[in-house]
Amino acid sequence: MRPAGMVARRGRLVPLFDHNALIVAIARSADREAFAKLFDHFAPRVKGLLMKAGTPAELAEEVAQETLLTVWRKASLFDPSKASAGTWIATIARNLRIDIARRETRSRLSQVYEILDEDGPEQPDAAVSGAERDVLVRAAMTQLSPDQYRVVELAFIEGFSHQDVAKRLAIPLGTVKSRLRLALSHLRGRLEDLR
Amino acid sequence: MSVAHRPTDETLAAFATGQLDEGLALVVATHLERDAASRERVRDFQSAQGALLDAAVPVAMVGGAGDVLARDPDAAPVGKADHVPEIGLPRVLQPYALGPWRPIGIKIAMRRVDVPGAEARVFMLRAGPGVALPHHKHSGLEWTTILSGAYEHQYGRFAAGDFDEADAEHEHTPRVDAIEGCTCIAAVTGNILFQGWLGRLLQPLVRL
Repeated sequence: MRPAGMVARRGRLVPLFDHNALIVAIARSADREAFAKLFDHFAPRVKGLLMKAGTPAELAEEVAQETLLTVWRKASLFDPSKASAGTWIATIARNLRIDIARRETRSRLSQVYEILDEDGPEQPDAAVSGAERDVLVRAAMTQLSPDQYRVVELAFIEGFSHQDVAKRLAIPLGTVKSRLRLALSHLRGRLEDLR
Repeated sequence: MSVAHRPTDETLAAFATGQLDEGLALVVATHLERDAASRERVRDFQSAQGALLDAAVPVAMVGGAGDVLARDPDAAPVGKADHVPEIGLPRVLQPYALGPWRPIGIKIAMRRVDVPGAEARVFMLRAGPGVALPHHKHSGLEWTTILSGAYEHQYGRFAAGDFDEADAEHEHTPRVDAIEGCTCIAAVTGNILFQGWLGRLLQPLVRL
């Protein structure tokens, strides 16, 4: 038995509804049902990702709630041609994690990210649309070896320096660097064709 | 004019994940504001982060969608920076308070950028044509983005938009472009260790 609203694809359960469309529905008509679906999908994943990176459960819960509340507030700013729902929500979660973790020091870093994100792609001929990029990056990531995937996760999600990744995985620094280089050239190779 | 020196992948990934010290991140952001190619690389990392979010193992939430909306039923959109931006400054500096330009030598002036909570000290530096900045080395990092003009040292010529990523192993004597001069923004961790008479003059000033 599979849960309602899910469909099996390549052995994994994936949602039937389109996340981008849910955000658009929120922007158009403050659709609470769409928000509930989006919340139930993304909030536990934001929380899970943060906890995996060592964030305490309570803080991860707070960031996840704030992230989805921000999605509700800023739904009208979502541009599906620039990024998929997952990528957009991941950047919101990153900004809120910074805001909350650096609350006492009045960090302005999330404003800096927002100023940079205001720019559209400035080379309309050359740039890959965000949506195309997301499709390609996701496809390329499924082809990484488990070893490569793990270094990508530590370096690109948890933001560890190469030195710290080497320490955590108890592998030589040179191995970390070569795995990341291979993973990056694989990801970029997929994007080059479109640039 | 095209950018010749860019941050490493390691630096851009650390920026994209939000793990960089805010002072260092601000200098990276100043480069990104000017360089579309580096922005594209940051977006690649953000896209990978989105992919990892989609693949994340969910952990049950305590609060639900209804609770969140009930807490904040008609939340207003988040406001913009609260003061009028200064013309000619990088836009990413808008959220920060800047000190006045202060002369710190002949044809050299410095301006503090106040980044609360940052470990790195951030400042803008403006030097007249042909000025040789004092020979120095670092105990930490010195990251610089060139805003206008150029300087040159043994690692190359750095012009508007370029990013200069120096660490504790670098020791250099930047020479400012003979015609255009140079204005840059730098973030420094640890100490800058100057040599020479001008260096000794500068030493107390860069402690900020």
